[in-house]
Amino acid sequence: MVTNRVDHKWGMVVDLDRCTGCQACVVACHAENNIPINTKDYFQQRRAYEWIRIERYWEGEFPNVKAKFIPILCQHCENAPCEPVCPVYATYHNDEGLNVQVYNRCIGTRYCSVNCPYSARMFNYWEPNWPDSLRNQLNPDVTVRTRGIMEKCTFCVQRLRRGEVNVERRGIEPLTGEPITGERKLNYRQMKEGNFLPACVQSCPTNALQFSDQHDETGPVKEYFDEANEQIETRHHGGHVDEDHTRVYRLFEEVGAKPNLVYLKKVEAFPLDKA
Amino acid sequence: MKLTRRNFLAWAGLGAVGAVACEGFGIREGELNIQSPVQLPEDLVRGKDNWYASLCRTCPSCEGIVIRVMEGRAKMIQGNPFYPTNQGKIHARCESGLQSLYHPDRISSPMQRSGARSSAQFLPISWQPNGMDLLQTALQERGRSSVMITEPLRGHMSLLASRFSSAIGGEHLGFESIDNNTYRAAVKSVYGQDSMPDFDLENSQFILSFGADFLSTWVSPTRFNRGYGEFRQGEHRKRGMFYQIDSRFSMTAANADKWLPIKPGWEGHLALSLAQVIIAEGLQAPGVDVASLTGGDNLDNFRPELIVEKAGLTAEMTDGNAVEFVKNLARSFATSRPAVAIGGGSAGASSNGLFNLEAIYALNYLVGSVGEEGGVKLNPGSPWTDVPSSSKVGSLEDWTRITEQIRSGQTNLLLLHGADPVHGLPDSLHLRNAIEQADDLMIVSFSPFLDDTSAMADLILPDRVSLEDWGDDISEPGPGFQMVGFQQPVVNPLGDLDPLSFPDVLLTMAQELGKESQLPWSNFKNMLREGSDALFELNRGSIEASSAEEFWNNLLKRGGWWDENSTGSKYVQPTAGLLKSIAGKASDPDFSGIGMDTDSFYLVPFAHNTLMDGYNSHLPWLQSAPDPLSTVTWQTWVEVNDQTADRLELKEGDILRIESSKDFIKAVVYPTPAAPPDVMSVPFGQGRKHGSDYATDRSSNESSNVMDILETTQVEGTGSLAWAGTRVKVSKTGESVSISKLEGDARAVEIGLTPAEDIIKTIAPENA
Repeated sequence: MVTNRVDHKWGMVVDLDRCTGCQACVVACHAENNIPINTKDYFQQRRAYEWIRIERYWEGEFPNVKAKFIPILCQHCENAPCEPVCPVYATYHNDEGLNVQVYNRCIGTRYCSVNCPYSARMFNYWEPNWPDSLRNQLNPDVTVRTRGIMEKCTFCVQRLRRGEVNVERRGIEPLTGEPITGERKLNYRQMKEGNFLPACVQSCPTNALQFSDQHDETGPVKEYFDEANEQIETRHHGGHVDEDHTRVYRLFEEVGAKPNLVYLKKVEAFPLDKA
Repeated sequence: MKLTRRNFLAWAGLGAVGAVACEGFGIREGELNIQSPVQLPEDLVRGKDNWYASLCRTCPSCEGIVIRVMEGRAKMIQGNPFYPTNQGKIHARCESGLQSLYHPDRISSPMQRSGARSSAQFLPISWQPNGMDLLQTALQERGRSSVMITEPLRGHMSLLASRFSSAIGGEHLGFESIDNNTYRAAVKSVYGQDSMPDFDLENSQFILSFGADFLSTWVSPTRFNRGYGEFRQGEHRKRGMFYQIDSRFSMTAANADKWLPIKPGWEGHLALSLAQVIIAEGLQAPGVDVASLTGGDNLDNFRPELIVEKAGLTAEMTDGNAVEFVKNLARSFATSRPAVAIGGGSAGASSNGLFNLEAIYALNYLVGSVGEEGGVKLNPGSPWTDVPSSSKVGSLEDWTRITEQIRSGQTNLLLLHGADPVHGLPDSLHLRNAIEQADDLMIVSFSPFLDDTSAMADLILPDRVSLEDWGDDISEPGPGFQMVGFQQPVVNPLGDLDPLSFPDVLLTMAQELGKESQLPWSNFKNMLREGSDALFELNRGSIEASSAEEFWNNLLKRGGWWDENSTGSKYVQPTAGLLKSIAGKASDPDFSGIGMDTDSFYLVPFAHNTLMDGYNSHLPWLQSAPDPLSTVTWQTWVEVNDQTADRLELKEGDILRIESSKDFIKAVVYPTPAAPPDVMSVPFGQGRKHGSDYATDRSSNESSNVMDILETTQVEGTGSLAWAGTRVKVSKTGESVSISKLEGDARAVEIGLTPAEDIIKTIAPENA
């Protein structure tokens, strides 16, 4: 069945000055998305599943040393390098800005993983396995992926759909259950109140992760995406972006993948002497 | 049908009309593209989900949570957006309450020991008559010489446990292996408060933290993280400045603007040094009565010139001049108002820990931040007159006494709930040995999981886990005003489990033993309901209701009650001569044991980011969550300075033998540029010998308990364990393992090959 949906373009902003590396997003993602338990062997074989991971970089030597954290997840690129290499169209870009993985189409060539500049794609090397009792926790909204296929962050598409169905099709206010009288377009407030934000965003204790429709005037990401898109336009027309005076950047901008994730630079009061 | 020219044109025409019609009917071009089944609303699972408000019990800070329940199964835990302390946010630990609920290794029914004391062999028995009868007999015969050891309790459970213990003539003590007694004592002596204070990081301009890993494990990390986010990038405010003075490079230190690696145990001296500069230069906040505060002692003995070398502050770590650095730090701290000084963790865990923390917290008086916005927010007490906001938590002194009582037979009944003292106390206390050798000791454990102490029990009566049971909590620290959280059962135990609620068992026993006068409630829910009715009678706070019944329902819906108008003291008058009296207590940290030999190292253990002190070591999500700094999972690692590692010819994955005067453990080497060269750091939490495979299925090379080698040094004045007061020697074992870590896991493109600044871009504060 084909339905008329309201236009959305989802986007996430990651503020590196707020991120403390606490791992709340990582565990929330595991709980929401039925990610198999990463055993010791998985880590030792460098095959752990983490749809969102916190990378830690060292800088300097004792005593002038720093550690910096960055959450890395699928960047949901507009020009996604993973998409054209899939021989079976298992990964493609939908009209809401999401890079989508169709599990039952994937045949496990892993070309997409090779082509992803962010190493955000996880391959199921093993059949997912939980003790019977722990299966009770599995989220019924999310498919458990079988061995031999690729998976990755979906921006918690199941939550977005739930929000769209409730607000845009049924016209129900998430918090009160009252009928919506005005425009039926899922907005940031409704996403917060209805638990429709991605699990990582919902959990992040410092609000380092923010998510909403890039066009939502009431949301926290619009101003950053506007600036990031302007940067691309400026560069495209040969202009100069004054990087020293903006916190907005996209990861590996030079690849040209145009992610739907924008990072905000970490503010550094005492930079290390690089000399 | 035969294809003729006429038919072809007819079908082609129809096709064109159809295509136009499709457009006209509103099917957008995008919808005709390949669609993923995960996208279609029709594929959403049908069924009604419910969200219930309750409390998280995976760490003592006890966040407000909401739980998604579908078809009788709990599916997801999120922060309760209304709950004042965590405001909708959670820590990594909270989520794993689900794994506790559906854990494969839950004890399904009561069990009685069938083998030798340490054999961990049990036979299942029934609740009625066996389990309850055995318990009743034990309480009747041994109640007067019993000790009940629980997790630190607050609210009605605290009241119930203490009343029950006193009714049967026994003693109740809370247990925490890394207790906060020294911190509490410092707060009491400096601010005169019984409750832990809150820190208003959100509105602060300068944070000066000594040893407290407050973003990861110390006291209330979710609350502090929330404030920290705003402190950094909150709207309508200038970005705050943050210094961490710590003998280990913790997750909190990693997020500071500047980390100052101090020698363990010298934090108090440095704090007084800062106070001396502030006083000497007249930088105290307006209105601060310095003469009264100092009592005539201008702290000249703590001038930076006299302290920096003792504290191990070198020119290299202080931009060339340690004395000037300390003076500048004092100036920045005193002039960037509001500023707040925080002390805890290893700063309070040396023999002179109480002096350290008192000196640190006294700084807040000098900069005028006690009771002020952006500073230390004092908390009021419990809203109930008879319900304590917290129970007494035992110190090392208490546990030493109880061990002796077990050994002598003076204590012959141990009642355990949520506490694993055999794992969580230094091995050199010999509690395990005392239990093994006691002739007439009975241990009753109410734990839903087997742990090192429960494995030695005579009787195990499994409790429900928090998502199946009632409860309440008086938040500590609270948000600066009175608040109470309520916990409700959101699911029933699975069919093959037969747990009984611990508080209900206690109340049943009270009835059986004829103690109704002290404990008149038939079950814990009724006790809580009475507490709810008392709140309703107060006629104030966040819940509006016209009847007690409506109040109770709204209370459970909201997850708690709070009254923003019922705040703690806004101002506290410091006792005259406070700084003089603190300075009089100054002493050097005691590192007896193997002493200060040049080939020995400071041992600075730390609470694991997710496992804490081992309380959560049976939960696989928390075992597999990478440590923020080393990214190690599942194993016990030792952080070794990379140059020290080179000198000792150690490489990552080598097994290192770490030896104190008490014992030795082995741990996996993780070389890091951030460890001080004379410090070895090992996380608490691993090394369980009994219980779930998730906690125990590794060899002693990979999973060890750092408690086993700690000296039993006590903090002067509180009797707490000085867990940062041990020195160790290390030696290679010649063995090595593959380290289980996330670092380097990213495939295809090794992002780490690019210099960090290209991935994590930075900007100067003035340009941000």
